[in-house]
Amino acid sequence: MATTSSVNEQPSAPAASGGSGLLVSLGPLSREALAVTLSNLAEAFPAQAVLVATPDPVSDTAVAPHLQLVPYTPPAPTTSSWLLSAADYLNTWKLLDGHHAGACLLLGPEAQSLGPAAVRALAEAVVAQHADLATPRYDLGPRDGLVNSAILYPVTRALFAVRSRYPLAVDLALSARMSERLAAVAQRHTASGANAALVWPVPEAAVASYSIAEVAAGPRALPPPGTIDLNSVLAQVAGSLFAEVDAKAAFWQRARLSYPPRNGSLAHTQPLAHANGSAEPPDVTAMLDSFRLAYANLHEIWALVLPPNSLLGLKKLSQLTSESFRMSDSLWARIVYDFILAYRLRALNRGHLLGALTPLYLAWVASHLLQTTPGAPDFIPPEKHIEAVATAFETDKPYLVSRWRWPDRFNP
Amino acid sequence: MGQQVSLALRESMHRALVKLASFLPGLLALLLALIALIIIGALLAYLARRILLALRFDERFARDRAPNVADWAPRHSPAELVARTIFWACVLAGLLIGVSAFDASLSASSQVSFLVIPYLTHWAGAILILLAGTVIARFLARSVLIGAVNLQLQYARFLSLGIKWLVLVLAAAMALDHIEIGGTIVDLAFGILFGGIVLTLALAIGLGSRELVSRSLERSAEARSSDARPSAVRPSGEPTSDETDAENPQRPRPTGTLRHF
Repeated sequence: MATTSSVNEQPSAPAASGGSGLLVSLGPLSREALAVTLSNLAEAFPAQAVLVATPDPVSDTAVAPHLQLVPYTPPAPTTSSWLLSAADYLNTWKLLDGHHAGACLLLGPEAQSLGPAAVRALAEAVVAQHADLATPRYDLGPRDGLVNSAILYPVTRALFAVRSRYPLAVDLALSARMSERLAAVAQRHTASGANAALVWPVPEAAVASYSIAEVAAGPRALPPPGTIDLNSVLAQVAGSLFAEVDAKAAFWQRARLSYPPRNGSLAHTQPLAHANGSAEPPDVTAMLDSFRLAYANLHEIWALVLPPNSLLGLKKLSQLTSESFRMSDSLWARIVYDFILAYRLRALNRGHLLGALTPLYLAWVASHLLQTTPGAPDFIPPEKHIEAVATAFETDKPYLVSRWRWPDRFNP
Repeated sequence: MGQQVSLALRESMHRALVKLASFLPGLLALLLALIALIIIGALLAYLARRILLALRFDERFARDRAPNVADWAPRHSPAELVARTIFWACVLAGLLIGVSAFDASLSASSQVSFLVIPYLTHWAGAILILLAGTVIARFLARSVLIGAVNLQLQYARFLSLGIKWLVLVLAAAMALDHIEIGGTIVDLAFGILFGGIVLTLALAIGLGSRELVSRSLERSAEARSSDARPSAVRPSGEPTSDETDAENPQRPRPTGTLRHF
């Protein structure tokens, strides 16, 4: 069920460095959600003693006998509590260390929607197959997790050479040493009071040459963001990823892909249930309006970030009709790479930079939706298009490396 | 007559040269203090940089602290930040010592300082106010422009320009007031201009944002009446999913909805 991809050619050492038990760490859940989650855990591990850390009060009679409950005090809720934050990783490591467990399963908000088979597969990837990090591959709808498909997955795959479809997944399985490493990173943030800071497990594992597994996890209800403002959430997540890319530049400039870039088919992964897209034509009018308005007003700000070639591409894009609106994968890859560079070079205020990315992202979403709707002249299944985008990012990686090293060199 | 004119000219030239000469020791003291402290600062910064690099300060700092501090450091090196802080602290100290020496030498000998020094400092202050105003105006104009575009306000550029000129007019009025030019005329003109810009912006926003405000109020009312948890991300006008399917993830959701996260 699990597919393992590691950055280095050499297989990593077995993960377990502490005890042999499994710890499952849960976040705050409602009474009903907790009951469903505990039932799923009991079904996933029918004959295995498992420690379940939960901040919610539970009566012992309602729990299967082989699940041992461990109460803990959760970190203060933050606006980003829909994702795993630095405080969560630190807390998990403390629990893992305190109970001498050898591996842990970190289940995020809405954990009750994760099926027992997925929970078991995640745990097995770390316990039985000795991976250090196991990430789930959710079976989401074609119009879900779009930021992940547009930015997080392609950037992580191209730069860190790891094919983890959900790099910022809310459920993870960690070995003891991986948990310790993430806790060390998280502690830097929590020490300065940034409990809500995001930690990126996949790049961390890649840099440490730890083995990474991906597990098909089936459908899952992803928790909604704590705010309804797309700009602020996108800025938070993209900004955190850009900072991670900046911090790990020494690694990803050397990292080589363990598979040829042009071979980015779905052979490595399992097909998804929603792979054929949605038959209902999308309403992209608002997104296109947003992009065209931004092109008319933000051109001079984009000119500080993007080279003339990309600006020309955007100009052509702004003149297209709704039906023929298509953003090429290579243009999108260049745009994201140039924004990463501008983030590093502080070409303009970082808040402004990330704000200026939103209309471009919406343009990509509109193009993606139009292209992946059955009946479109150039129809392509959503997952295949996302793979094509990721391949474009891989192909264009030398551009980022070159400009990262010589940012002042002439760039048409 | 000619002799008297010549005498008057010679005397005035003598007085001017004497006054100019009285400047020179102070000026020389200022320059000497500045140059000496720049050299000392460069030496101290060099030493600090070498010592910190030998102690692997950057690595230790990166291991123990959050990355935000290193972000602000030049070349992302906290050691470089410390070295530059030392250098500029020395330069500042040199400037302060030089100015006080210059002031002391002048005030002891002539009345020029009572007229020239305050005037010069006021001009320097006014230039600083203008510079700060320009920087703040540009920053705010960009913030407003990006925010307004992301809210899909058609008059985003107009709003941004309004904010920019509002801050620039304010900075210019403060600068003129600082150097005491114009008196009440500046106050009056500033009041009229500032009030005019604010009124124009208020009218533009009020007339142009009726739909936006009503949509926002409707959304707030809906959010209050429905479940307390926000469940979707949407820029204005964009279709999104307003429900979570936590209870049954297998249930098909309306395909026209979007979820960015």
